[in-house]
Amino acid sequence: MDSKVPLLSRRTFLTSAAILVTTTASVVHGRTFHQGMPWAPGAADPPAQVRPGPWAFFTSDEAATMEAIVDRLIPPDDGGPGGKDAGCAVFIDRQLAGPYGRSDGLYTLPPFMPGSSTQGYQNPDSPGGRYRAGLKALADHIRQSQSGKTLRELSTVDQDKLLSTLEDGSIKLKDIDAKAFFAMLLQDTQQGFFADPIYGGNRDMAGWKLVGFPGARYDYRDWVERHNERYPLPPVSIMGRTDWVSKG
Amino acid sequence: MYRSLTFAVTSFAFIACAHAQGATQDFSCIERGHYLTTLSDCAGCHTTAGGKPFAGGVALQTPFGTLIAPNITPDTDTGIGNWSDDEFVSALQDGRGRNGTRLYPAMPYTAYTKMSRDDILAIRAYLNTVTPVHNRVNANQLPFPFNIRLAMMVWNWLNFTPGRFVADPHQSAEWNRGAYLVQGPGHCGACHTPKTALGGDKTGAPLTGATLQGWFAPNITANKHNGIGRWSKDDLVHYLKTGANNDTLASGPMAEAVTHSTSQMKDADVAAIATYLLGTGQGGTDRPTPIAADNPTMKVGAEIYKDACAPCHQDNGQGSAQLFPRLAGTAVVQSDDPTTLGRVVLEGSRAVATNSAPTAPAMPAFDWRLDNDQVAAVLTYIRNSWGNAAPAVSAATVAKQRTSLAQSR
Repeated sequence: MDSKVPLLSRRTFLTSAAILVTTTASVVHGRTFHQGMPWAPGAADPPAQVRPGPWAFFTSDEAATMEAIVDRLIPPDDGGPGGKDAGCAVFIDRQLAGPYGRSDGLYTLPPFMPGSSTQGYQNPDSPGGRYRAGLKALADHIRQSQSGKTLRELSTVDQDKLLSTLEDGSIKLKDIDAKAFFAMLLQDTQQGFFADPIYGGNRDMAGWKLVGFPGARYDYRDWVERHNERYPLPPVSIMGRTDWVSKG
Repeated sequence: MYRSLTFAVTSFAFIACAHAQGATQDFSCIERGHYLTTLSDCAGCHTTAGGKPFAGGVALQTPFGTLIAPNITPDTDTGIGNWSDDEFVSALQDGRGRNGTRLYPAMPYTAYTKMSRDDILAIRAYLNTVTPVHNRVNANQLPFPFNIRLAMMVWNWLNFTPGRFVADPHQSAEWNRGAYLVQGPGHCGACHTPKTALGGDKTGAPLTGATLQGWFAPNITANKHNGIGRWSKDDLVHYLKTGANNDTLASGPMAEAVTHSTSQMKDADVAAIATYLLGTGQGGTDRPTPIAADNPTMKVGAEIYKDACAPCHQDNGQGSAQLFPRLAGTAVVQSDDPTTLGRVVLEGSRAVATNSAPTAPAMPAFDWRLDNDQVAAVLTYIRNSWGNAAPAVSAATVAKQRTSLAQSR
C-alpha cells in the first residue's frame, strides 16, 4: 500500500470512535421509570378490523385467479370451508395493499446478492410487485398453452396439474421464478387460513376450529397439569366470537 | 370521661401552637402541622403533579364548573403569607377567606370545620415553613351565576353546619379518633358522601357512596352488600396503608388519596379510621334480587366474561390477591352506580404503587374490543353472578360514558 495515500489508519479510527462514543454518551439522558412502566388510559392500539368490500390491491381478474388458487391449495371438504370461503384471497389482498405489500420498513437498496436459504428474499421487488408480475406471467402462460383460457376456466384437475408444475418448477414463466412464486402463494394462503379473522382470512375461525386452536386466549394455568384432555372452550378471535353478540 | 375523651381526640400528641407567633416556630408544633397536612391531604389539591409544594394550580372539575386550588405557600403577594392566624382558621372552619371572602366548598371546609383551632394553627405553622412561591392562581373559573361568591352565603345556610368535632362518650377513644379523622381532616365525605342537587352533603346518608369526576366513590360504611362490611379491620388497614388488600386495589382518585395521605398516616391513626368506619352505619343491606343467569343479556355477558375477563379475575370472580381485584361480593361491583366499573372496562385503570405494594398492576382498556351492548352485558353479568346483585347496566349508559371519557382524554 502506498503510504502517501491519506487512508484512515486503524489508530485514528479507533481514537475517533472512542471520542464519538464518549461525547455521545455524555449527552444521552436515559429515561428513569419509577414505580412501574408508564401507563395511560384508553391507550390500546389494536389492528383495524378488515371489512368485506371491494378489492384493495388485486384487479378483478387477479382476484378471480387468486380465489381459484387458494381454493385449490386448501380445497373445501367435510372438515370445513376451503381457502376461498375462508377469506384467504381477501387476507392476501389486504396484506398486499398495506405496508407488507410495499416492503415498508425493509431495506431494499443494492447491492443484491444471492443469499442463503435462511436469509429470505434478496431482491428489490416488494411482495405487491411480485404478485402482480407473477399473476401476469401465469395468466400469459395459461392463455398461450390452454388456447386463450384463464386459470379459473380450467377444470380443478387441470388447475391442480398447473399448480404442481409451479411447485416443482417444471413450468417456465417469463422472468419469474415459478418455484419461489408458488412458495409465496402457499405460505400466504396458509397465513390467511390461520391468522386472526381481524385480518380478513380464517373466516368464522374456520382454520382454528379445524386444528383445535383456542385462539386469542392467554391464560392456561388451570390446564398446565392436565394432559390428553380436550380443551373445552371454543376459539375466540381478537374481536370476540358470535356468542358475544346477543341474538335478541 | 367526656372531657378526657375530647382531649385525647382533638389533641393527639398535643403541643400548643396557638397565640403568639413565636410559639409557632416550635419544631414539634411544625412537625405536628406537617403530619396534619398529610392527614388532610392538602397537597392532593394544592400541589400539582411535579409542581412546587402547595403552590396551587390543580383544576377541580365540579358539576358547576372548574375551580383552581389556590397557592397556599407563605408568599405575601400570591400566597397566604399576609393572612392572620384568625383568617386562616376562619377559612378552614367557616369557609371565609381573607377579608371575609367566601370560599367554594370544593375546599372541604364543611369537613375541616370539625378540626380544632390548635390543629389548624399547627397546619399554619407548617405552611409558614414551606418555600414561598410566587404563583398567582385565578381560583374562580366558574361560569355565571356560580362565579358569584356571595351565593355561597345561601349555600352555606342550606348545606353547612359549622362546629368542632364532639366526641361520643359511649365509644372508645380509638373510635372517636377515627371519627375525628374521617369527618374532619381526612374529609372522606368530600368524595364518599352522596351530594344534593346543590352539591351539598346528603347528611342523612354519610359515606354511602357518590359519583364525581367520572368515578364512583363507593359506600365505605359497614354495609355488607355494597359497602366494606365484609372487610376485617386488617383488610381496611392494609388497603389504606398500601393501596391494596386481598380484595381490591386503589386506583383513580383514591390512588391519589393513598399516595399523598393514607399510606403516610401513623399505624394508630389508620387503625382508628378502620375502627370507626367498620363500626358505623351497618344499616340495611337493601340487596336487590339478582338477575337470573338465563337472561339473554346475562348469557352474552357470561361468554364475554369467560373469554376476556376470567383469565385474570377467574371464572368464580375471586381475582388474585394483591394483583387482580376480586369481583365477587365487592362494594364497587355491587354499587347501584356503575360509573367506576364502566370506566375501568372501557379505558382500563392503573392501581396505585406504594412502597409496600410497588407492583401497580394495570387493567387494559377494552373500549376497542367491546361495543356498548357488550360492555353493558358483561357488566350486568359481573354485577349479578357469584352471589352479587345489582341493577343491570344499559348500553345507553355505556355509550354516554364512552363519549365523556373520550372527551376527557
